[in-house]
Amino acid sequence: MNNKPSVGKRALSFLGDNLVPIMFIIICAVCIPVSGFSASYLINEIVTRMGRNIFLILCLLIPIMSGMGLNFGMTLGAMAGEIALILVSDWQIWGIPGVVLAMIVSIPIALLLGFFCGKLLNMSKGREMITSYIISFFFNGLYQLLVLYMMGPIIPIKHSSIKLPRGYGIRNTVSLLNMRHCLDDALAITVGGVKIPVLTFVLIGLLCLFTVWFRKTKLGQDMRAVGQDMDVARDAGINVEKTRIISIVMSTVLAGFGMIIYLQNMGNIATYSSHSQIGMFCIAALLVGGASVDKASIGNVFLGVILFHTMFIVAPSAGAKITGDSMIGEYFRVFVSYAIITIALVMYETKKRKMKSRLGLQLQADQAAEEAAGKAGAQG
Amino acid sequence: MKKKTSSRGILFKVAAILLLLIIAAVMFVIGRGHTVYIDNKSIDYNGETYKAYNRVNVYVNGERLAKLGARERGKSVNIGQEFKMTIEVTREKGDEAETLEDLTFKLPYSWDGIVINVPAYLSNLPQEVWMTEFVAQTTEAPAEEEVNTDELDEFTLGDF
Repeated sequence: MNNKPSVGKRALSFLGDNLVPIMFIIICAVCIPVSGFSASYLINEIVTRMGRNIFLILCLLIPIMSGMGLNFGMTLGAMAGEIALILVSDWQIWGIPGVVLAMIVSIPIALLLGFFCGKLLNMSKGREMITSYIISFFFNGLYQLLVLYMMGPIIPIKHSSIKLPRGYGIRNTVSLLNMRHCLDDALAITVGGVKIPVLTFVLIGLLCLFTVWFRKTKLGQDMRAVGQDMDVARDAGINVEKTRIISIVMSTVLAGFGMIIYLQNMGNIATYSSHSQIGMFCIAALLVGGASVDKASIGNVFLGVILFHTMFIVAPSAGAKITGDSMIGEYFRVFVSYAIITIALVMYETKKRKMKSRLGLQLQADQAAEEAAGKAGAQG
Repeated sequence: MKKKTSSRGILFKVAAILLLLIIAAVMFVIGRGHTVYIDNKSIDYNGETYKAYNRVNVYVNGERLAKLGARERGKSVNIGQEFKMTIEVTREKGDEAETLEDLTFKLPYSWDGIVINVPAYLSNLPQEVWMTEFVAQTTEAPAEEEVNTDELDEFTLGDF
């Protein structure tokens, strides 16, 4: 008997598994020629955005591995990175040393925030995504309290370019002019008119290697076991709660680093809004790359960033050319970002239910077969 | 056995924290940024006037940073505690330019902006005369800034 599925079924299953990236490839294929951008401009923009965003998105892989889904709580790491950058800007540490120092300063803040987030997520097992989403709002309030009222009177801030004129609190925008592109420009090379930020890509490469290596370590294996089945992992002697906390802490610390890399590329901090949407966009980009709530790879990150940002770049211009109004393109890309997350979540739930019902049917069939065999044995 | 492993773990953590602290300390020193202002301005000291030069060309890292006439100021941003520059000085109109290469200045850590007066420096005056802290002159009270803590507009993404 041949159990191999037919070509049609395989094609359908491939389509089902890769629906989101395929949709994006089609959108990009339509929008790129309409937008009228040259190939070199597009590649330049995409390479810049890859350097800016990939590190941030890679931090989402570890919680997915440990079965905690898409970590909307990465915003906490982003806040840690911003606080560190504000302090480092006030201390007037510039260039690459400023970035390194900001990363070091962000570590204890991210550790603390990640630990709290992990503890809270352990109390809401099975509802990690919505909990982490709400936690990010909760911590945003604390962040505002810190930045708006405690920076100045409690945490010393010296420079008037950073501090609000009233004497406490941080301005809406903090300039990172003396840090801007310091990583991107170091060791940068230009190939065919495209600037490649080599040092940023080296950092991304190192994180990719770390992720691959980490999966093979004892802790990485424990995380995978926890992600597959918490009860089985617990029975196997794994400290499930601790493993989950470690995965969130690692993700938060890496998100802090990612935010610093992101902001050094942008050249300024929008103090009260830089972090607020970052989780949403990183998750959208990862899902566009074909990842799901329970499965993501480094390949998904790269493909996602390329497709999502190609859409980001070309949509306003294509929208303007098609409808005569550039805002249509803007609405379109916002709509697509949120729609992608919704589709991915719905598809994940549907698949989970299908799998459950399939397993139920299988179990029923097995039981019926067993009963039939038992009856036949009794009659014999 | 377990005790040995846990004490090794603590040692490892302490070593990691120490290493990070050392790196942070090094970054504090090598990454301190200063804005250096180079003045070609006349200066009075002990009742004597040291006149500005006709022309001063300032080079930093091999590139010309400023071409200063009398009473002019150039600006350079510098990372680290040491500032190096090369200057070409034409003392009076029609004189030949003399080049002073690799002049090195130790910058005070606590000063963000530092003013170096070239005529005072070349006249061998004391350091507190030719190197002073830059203090921005503000004549108007700073305008209040409204803080916007709202989330981004739902229909705009900004740049990402």
